[in-house]
Formats: sequence, C-alpha cells, structure tokens
Amino acid sequence: MNVIEVSGLKKQYRSTLRGARITALDGVDFTVRPGELFGLLGPNGAGKTTTVKILLGLTRATSGNAKVCGLDVSDPESRRRVGYLPEGHKIPGYLTPRQTLSIFGRMSGMDNATIARRTGELLEILHLSKWLDVRVKKFSKGMTQRIGLACALIHSPDVLLLDEPTDGVDPVGRREIRDILRDVAREHGTAVLLNSHLLSEIELTCDRVAVLRTGKVAAEGTIDELTRRSPKYKLIATPVDDALLTIFRDTGATADRVNGHVELGVTDLDHLNAIVDKVRARGAVISELSPMRSTLEDVFVDLVKAADVTVGATMEAK
Amino acid sequence: MKTLYANIEDVMREAAARWTLLAYFTLSSVFLVIFAAAINLDIVNGSLAGAQLFGKDMSVHDGLPIDKLVLGFESGFSGFLYVLCTFLAIFATAHLVPRMQEKGTVDLYLSRPVSRVKLLLSRYVAGLILAGTNVFYLITSIWLIVMWKTHVFHPRFFLGGLLIMFVIAVLLAFAFLIGVVTSSTAVSIMGSYGLFFFGIMLAGHDRFAAAVSKEWQATLIQAMYWVVPKTLEMAKAVVAFVSGASAPEQIQSSLALGPFLSTAAFGIGCLVLASWLFQRKEF
Repeated sequence: MNVIEVSGLKKQYRSTLRGARITALDGVDFTVRPGELFGLLGPNGAGKTTTVKILLGLTRATSGNAKVCGLDVSDPESRRRVGYLPEGHKIPGYLTPRQTLSIFGRMSGMDNATIARRTGELLEILHLSKWLDVRVKKFSKGMTQRIGLACALIHSPDVLLLDEPTDGVDPVGRREIRDILRDVAREHGTAVLLNSHLLSEIELTCDRVAVLRTGKVAAEGTIDELTRRSPKYKLIATPVDDALLTIFRDTGATADRVNGHVELGVTDLDHLNAIVDKVRARGAVISELSPMRSTLEDVFVDLVKAADVTVGATMEAK
Repeated sequence: MKTLYANIEDVMREAAARWTLLAYFTLSSVFLVIFAAAINLDIVNGSLAGAQLFGKDMSVHDGLPIDKLVLGFESGFSGFLYVLCTFLAIFATAHLVPRMQEKGTVDLYLSRPVSRVKLLLSRYVAGLILAGTNVFYLITSIWLIVMWKTHVFHPRFFLGGLLIMFVIAVLLAFAFLIGVVTSSTAVSIMGSYGLFFFGIMLAGHDRFAAAVSKEWQATLIQAMYWVVPKTLEMAKAVVAFVSGASAPEQIQSSLALGPFLSTAAFGIGCLVLASWLFQRKEF
C-alpha cells in the first residue's frame, strides 16, 4: 500500500486585488511507498511547497485527492503518523530541546515515558545530547535544523515530509542527516518525501524523484531512469573539424564541442556505430569514446528550459 | 487533554521567557508591599479609632465600624482592579494567536494530529489560565493583607475576581478573533482595549439614541449596545457584587442577568467565529 497517494491534485489561488485565478497545481499525480526516499523537485513556484502543505492539511486542494496512510488529508488523524520539518521553521526560542520534544510529542499523542526515551535516542543520534537543557534561541542554524528534525521524528512517524532539511547545515552535518534519513527509511520503513533545491542532496539521498514544472509532474522516476534519458557520448578523436561535426549532425545526431571533446547525442547504438564509421572514414583516430550520464541537475535544467520555451512560444502566439 | 496540557505548558513557558509573568508578579508584589506598609489602622472594639497612610494621620469618623470601612474600601478597590486586571490580562495574552500563526511556527502546530478548533481553544484556555493566575495573585494578596490588617473576613471581594475573569474571557475571545484575522498582536491589543472603551461609551446608549435625528441611527445604537460587551455595567456589577446588600441602588441593577447574558453571547460568538475562520484559513 502506498503511504502517500496524490491524484489529479489541483490548486488555484484567487488573487486578492484582481480576483484572477492563479494555478499553483494543475493535476499532480504521484505515490510514495513505505520505506521509500522520494524527492520533489522543481523551480521556484512549481508547486512543491503547495503540494506538501496540502498533504499536511495546511491548505486545501481545489480538486483532486490526497491521502496519507490511507486517510484523506482533511482528517487530522492522517497527521498522526506524519512528521514534518518546514523550511525556515521557528521552534520557539524559549524552549529547550527537552521541552520542545515534550510539548510536540504530547501534541502527537505520546505519553511522557515514550517521549523521554525517544528524546534521549534522537538527541544522541543528532549530537544534541549536550544541549538538552539549553534554550533553542542559543543554537546555530545547523543545530536548529537538527532539533527541527528531532521534532519531526519524535513520534516515530511512518511518513516524513522534509522541506529543505539540510538548509544551513555544514557538509558533515548534511551527510549525517542523509544517513539518518536512510536509516529511518530502511530500518523503520518510514517513507521520506524530500523537498529541496539542492539537487545533489536529492541525488545522493532519494530513490525516486518527481520534477514539478508549472504545477504539473514533468518527469518522474528513479534517479537512474531520469539521468539515463537522452544518452550522450564523449568522443575524443584527432582531428575533428567542423566539417566532421556537420556530417554527424546530418545523421540526426547532436554534436557539440565541449572542453576539447565532442558531446554526441545519438538515438541508439546503431546510430553511434554509424558515426564511428564516419570518423574512421575521414581518417581520424579515436582515443576515447565513453557514455556520459546526465546529472540530475542536467535533467532538471533541461526540463525547466523546456518549460520556458513552451511559455515563450505561448506568449508569442498570443 | 494532552494537547491542552502541552499548550498550557507552552504558553506558561513563553510567558516566563518573555518576562511577562515575572514583570507582572514583580509589579504586583511591589504594589502589595507598598499597600501593606502604607496603611496602619488602629482598631478598638471593632471600630476604627485612628488610621495612618504612609505614616500620616488620617481623619476618621469616630467609632466607624471597621467592617463597613473594609467593605467600602474593597468595593471601591474592586472597580480599580477590574480595569487593571483586564488591561494587564489582554496585554499578556493577546499575542498567543498571532505568534502561533507566524510562518514557520504555525506549520509545527498544525502538522500535529490535532484539529484546528481544538488547538485554538487549547490556547484560549491556556491564555485564561495565565490571566487567571495574575488576577488570583493580585486579588488574593490584597484580600489577605486586608484581613491581616483588619481581621475582617469578606469573601465577596475574593469572589469578585470571578466576575473580572468573566470579562477577561470575553475580551480575550475578541482578541483571539482579531488575532486569527490579522495575525497582529498590536491590532489585537488595540482592538480589545477599543472594545472595552466602546462598551463604556455605549452605556449611554439611551441618550445617544435620543440625540440622533434618524430612527435607523437610534436603532443601530441600541443594537450595538446589546451586541457589544457591557464593560461599564460589568464594572458596576463587580462593585455591586463586592458591596453586597450595602451597594447603592443605582448600581444594583447591574447585577441583572441581561447584561451578563449578552456579554457572554458576544464572547461565545467571537470564539465560534474565530474557530470557524481558523479552521478555514490557509497557511
């Protein structure tokens, strides 16, 4: 059973002054399985935060369905098994970690004994044990982020929604947070939905990713599936002149000179072999021919650029 | 109940951290010490033979029964406490909703498995407990000092605190409503104080209605009088309640049920509306 099910989710805001409708989500569909690390990507305004807010009942969908642990998100009980770390969260500065976890633990229906046990465990993992009774207002950005994560994890949730969880955390701390997320996902079966601008963070952490663009899911799949799209090859050969590049392009391939090598975009292996034949026919010597993998950033930028082109074309048509 | 207790703890810890509680108790304690030290009464056979205020002799009516003097003092002082306690209580609690609704904070509360209405009402109860603690400390202390100085036991003064709490509850409901709508502590405080004075102004509703030229204006003034909390009548009711049978006739009528019911209805209406708006609000 999926722990997060989102189907046909639409959200429109009405502009206060003009009364015009602004579409934030336009039919978003995705699911997250137990124990899965799922990344939600997208440029600013793509609808990531709106999606998370709908899952938490902070805002209502205009239409469509969203369920968490089988319960509709309008039911407060759906949040019993959900932990949430908002972006730029403000844990009250007057509270200590012990008090914070006690208050929010009880609001999640926990008893005092369980809260005390979980507080000890979490603060140990997050290296905050020494700061148990120090007010949060004295914490650094990274420490504040870690206490926020402890707050989200206090009730051992089945679903963890994280908005920029490594924001302000140093590289060592980021790695530790990644390790914690993998642990809760693999050992406890917690589904993690990670909303972040840090593509490398998503790439290193997540099993599967959905890229939102203008309120729609533009791409979805495992990191491997997404980065394998549009295979490219790195070609180093001597000599490769502009005439040869033109020959490559005439076959339908893309060919760009980048940092002393050629990046070839081909349709399949037959196409690649045909290009190799052309290189040899011109008497060039191949010293390297290797497949290139797109990074998640490449995929992301390509998708966003595609959206810009579409938007630009639409505006020109108008 | 866990949600309620968690909210009460949160509110109390915030009050302590913001020095609200400490400042209030310090000021109240200073006031109480001065009050206790300033008044010295010479009581002979249950009558006041002499009195000193800050060491200076005061002229007293020979043979004035001390219980009458205490009653007069307590009833007059209860009016002063009514205003003081109400203003301090609103000042100390009006931030509860705006602070909770701040970006980055509201998500932490609303992402818990608690209905929004329950969350809001828990904070309302927590606010009342905070205000009640202040009222209880001040009134009980004054009551005990008066008992210590005069040996007169007069429970009505102590119980008058409940009437003050009633008005605080109504004004706090209004402050919560404004807080939900505007997310502003300053507007919540100003609005509640404004409502307090507007209620006092509307006590002269019959005169205002007679002075306006159009009938709809007179109807509007009378309608507003019945909608808005009757803060002046409530002040009179506190004094009348503390005075008991010896209260002047003109304020005895303030203890009638009508003003209480309409004031309570306003408070309940504000809470219901605040809950409804908070439930519908998108963050």
